[in-house]
Amino acid sequence: MEELILELKEQIIEVLNLEELTPEDIDPKAPLFGAGGLGLDSIDALELIVLLEKRYGIRLASAAEGKSIFTSVENIAQYVSQNRKK
Amino acid sequence: MAAIIADNIMSPLGSSSGANYQAVKAGKTALRLHNHEFNLPFPFTAALFSEEQKEEFTINGLTLFESLAVTSIRKALESCQIPMDNRTCLVISSTKQNISLLNIEGNPPENVLYPGHSAERIAQNVGITTTPIIVCNACISGVSALILGNRLIEMQEYDYVIVCGIDLQSPFIISGFHSLKALSETPCRPFDLERTGLNLGEAAATVILGKGNLTDKWHIAGAAIRNDAYHVSSPAPKADGCLMALEAVMKEQDACKLSVINAHGTATLYNDQMEARGICRAGLSDIPVNALKGYYGHTMGAAGILETLITLHAAEDNTIVGTKGYEELGVSGNLNIVRNNTTTAKKDFVKLISGFGGCNAAVLLTPCAPLGRENGQEIEAQHQVTITPQSVQIDNKMIDTGQLRGKALLTYLYKTYIQDYPKFYKMDALARLGFITTELLIRKERGAKGEEQGARGERAVIFFGQSSSINADKEFLASIADPENFFPSPASFVYTLPNIVNGEVAIRNDYHGETSFYILPRKDDDIMRMVTQATMLDNYHKSIITGWLDYKSEEDYCAELRVYNVITK
Repeated sequence: MEELILELKEQIIEVLNLEELTPEDIDPKAPLFGAGGLGLDSIDALELIVLLEKRYGIRLASAAEGKSIFTSVENIAQYVSQNRKK
Repeated sequence: MAAIIADNIMSPLGSSSGANYQAVKAGKTALRLHNHEFNLPFPFTAALFSEEQKEEFTINGLTLFESLAVTSIRKALESCQIPMDNRTCLVISSTKQNISLLNIEGNPPENVLYPGHSAERIAQNVGITTTPIIVCNACISGVSALILGNRLIEMQEYDYVIVCGIDLQSPFIISGFHSLKALSETPCRPFDLERTGLNLGEAAATVILGKGNLTDKWHIAGAAIRNDAYHVSSPAPKADGCLMALEAVMKEQDACKLSVINAHGTATLYNDQMEARGICRAGLSDIPVNALKGYYGHTMGAAGILETLITLHAAEDNTIVGTKGYEELGVSGNLNIVRNNTTTAKKDFVKLISGFGGCNAAVLLTPCAPLGRENGQEIEAQHQVTITPQSVQIDNKMIDTGQLRGKALLTYLYKTYIQDYPKFYKMDALARLGFITTELLIRKERGAKGEEQGARGERAVIFFGQSSSINADKEFLASIADPENFFPSPASFVYTLPNIVNGEVAIRNDYHGETSFYILPRKDDDIMRMVTQATMLDNYHKSIITGWLDYKSEEDYCAELRVYNVITK
């Protein structure tokens, strides 16, 4: 799981252009959206949906479905490990 | 003051305004489910021209986009005689023009596809000799173009302005909206409880505006464009920009005279809710509201003109057209959505529209001749910043940036002068260029006087360019070019509208004034000055940031922006 969390952090930094962040800066338990977290927005959530499909073969039907998964990096890692197709 | 002297609609429902209105009145829809269309790996519902219709309007030597525009303009010209001299201008409203022809092989060359060059071919084919202007303001482009045409005649720059709104669909656009999860697989349901998203559509719609207060013609009696300054693709939850635009056009209008507010009504969850909020906050919840996307889908650059024309022809027929797809109210507020065709004795109506980049527009249409307005405003240049891959100049003074060039230069400027806005890294190259240039401009302004002049909110941001969003277009295209690796990027797609940069500047600085992006065949200071002056006819703005903003590649870009204060005479 640690490995997957690091991989996800690197992927998130790359696809969301979080250029000034390193994986160490991201707390795996911290919220990704809203205040107190990384401050991601609705377009970032859509990019994360693309990331899940492209890299792990996981298809989410709607942005609403993503909302419950993208709460923290740890939560995404959990979901990916249980649902990944590649 | 300008009057509508002729018009045309070319859509899958017909090739004249009359045929289109009759089809809509009869409840017909152009929306169909398409499987495997454009080789896309998902089904979608859209209103597309048939192959037979395309063949009918194809003109040798022109692209399909140009052919459709020329055909619509020619049909509008059939019912009026106007001189094709230096007193007649063409304004094109379009979001993605010839985008279906852009490919990774680079054939035809991208400069052939530049919107301004395409507009020149359209102008030439209908005999127009003056330089055309393209309005590229996302979904509000059509209404923006009507507003510009009206202002140019009001300023006596031209006697006639032909305004043509047009967009065709392509894998580029459909996969982009699909990646935004904005498409409904079934026919859209504006304002309905069960609405799940929008459908896209194709159309061209032309309005010919002529000078003079003509008692038997329709006029634009009120017009406003305002920005939410909230988000580049999500509507503001409190509908700030929509409310401001509505309040501006209703300032001198008796709400009792309104027959209908023709809303944007895309049938996405957030757009319809936002419009409902804006209409209620403006105190207009008793006024009937309708939306036409259930007949045509979202026709993008054509929508503002097409929907204005259908509402106008309905008003002449004492009718408010029903909102196809609507059954049960699905937005907050006690909105009066018109479900079925109803009769009305009132004529005046408001066309409301909103788009990416946070822009909102409203126009008030009336068959009575409105009073002319005095424009007692002039603009006075304050500061200028110029950035090219080779140099940075502030008020003609060169800034030392070492050996840095191209893209690295922009990142250096961000890291040196700004630092506190990591969203910069998410922007595409055009938005980065516009953002950095305006930041330096504002720093200079603050440095000289401690604060920007006038109320910040009442500042307009008006940009002009040649190559539109070509850099972002190519980036998004790369994400869909390989069918084996088809993962359209929503973040790239949003930036394939050049006016997103206006939105970024508005959000950063909380500017709520007009935000517009105009595309010209080439840099033309006279036209830029004329359009900037036209913006001042709004009588709202206290200041304006404007100028040339063009990003072709890392080696070829130019921002030359000025801040002006508005002086009331």
